[in-house]
Amino acid sequence: MEQFEMLKALAETNVESFMFYILATVSILLAFGVILDRTIIRSGFILIGVFGSICGLFLLLQAQFLALAQLMIYAVGITLVVVIALMLTNPRMENGKLSTAAPANQLGAFMVAVGLFMTIYLSVRPENWTISSEPLDTANVEVLGRALTTDYSLPFEFASVLLLAALIGAVMLAKAEKPPKSGEEDFEYSVVEESAAEPAASKR
Amino acid sequence: MTSSVATKPQSSAQAMSYALAYAIAVCFVVGAYATGNLDNLIQMVGLNSVLESWALKDYTELLAFVLIVILGSIVALLGGQTSIIMAVGTVGSFFSLTLNQHPLIQYLSLAAVLFAIGLYGMVVSRNAVRVLMAIELMLNAVNINLVAFARYVDPVQVKGQLFAIFVITVAAAEAAVGLAIVLSIYRNTSTVDMERFNLLKW
Repeated sequence: MEQFEMLKALAETNVESFMFYILATVSILLAFGVILDRTIIRSGFILIGVFGSICGLFLLLQAQFLALAQLMIYAVGITLVVVIALMLTNPRMENGKLSTAAPANQLGAFMVAVGLFMTIYLSVRPENWTISSEPLDTANVEVLGRALTTDYSLPFEFASVLLLAALIGAVMLAKAEKPPKSGEEDFEYSVVEESAAEPAASKR
Repeated sequence: MTSSVATKPQSSAQAMSYALAYAIAVCFVVGAYATGNLDNLIQMVGLNSVLESWALKDYTELLAFVLIVILGSIVALLGGQTSIIMAVGTVGSFFSLTLNQHPLIQYLSLAAVLFAIGLYGMVVSRNAVRVLMAIELMLNAVNINLVAFARYVDPVQVKGQLFAIFVITVAAAEAAVGLAIVLSIYRNTSTVDMERFNLLKW
């Protein structure tokens, strides 16, 4: 009970840290949901929750523009594309047995993931960051816009060219291809084409 | 995790109850660490001198982490539900590792956790679309890092947020092209199983 009172006092004194822990817990649990859920279409929708809680974290860090961009691009755009891809491929195949790799691979992946986390944590943990105590500028959208159009205008243009190239490439890759693959099919295809064309010609 | 395969025939209710017991144990460990009782326990057992000899005196939270990991592997060996054990253990160790740290380190640790989860999912899942979802998760973890740096290290010219914008752009391009590749592979081989993508093998 006494510890509960302590937790309550902690929550009252530092709302930001309290909200951070709630959002962090939600995002970690939902990330596990994305990875481990048997039904893949459901994990596609859980992904929206992960992106939403990360949007909340951005709001806590006072990055309003990025929070809304995150919501629009990730939670709506990318998740929509993922769900449409799931509908176009065949999710019925993944009934439990396709959802996970072999047990040995799982153990290895788990070890690698824990090792990676510990490496990052131990290198981040020493407290020699040059932390600035200045508050964030409230008009940081203006700062962002000014930087994007002056100092960072070249990377900005490159990003737009990259997006255009990716868009055209995605359309080219995903377009349904009409021409058949093997020579035999090619022959049949042309025969069908001719026989279909003949009645039209005789009518005339 | 994998060890529960050996003891598969157990009932799912039993596995669930093991996982719940593990969750309660993790709550106790985190609570003991947060209220400082774990430090007293370390001094009582005499682990203090061991930690000092390894120059790890300020790293008592690592002990809570190791305790949670050991408990988790024991419960998984006994046949608990592995996915719940993994999730609970991750949240518990995240709490115990970051409770007494600066906010910047808390955000960086959260990003590291999400990145590790994304890596694990990328290796483990066999559906190609789920692999792409895991990659999106990892990119988002990187974004959290950048925005946290913009808030705590460089609050005047928020360069971290600028880089996050470029990361989001590249992530959108990657998602479009990656899903298009998955679609065209599915059209050719009528499968999205990662282990059957051997088109380049001869």
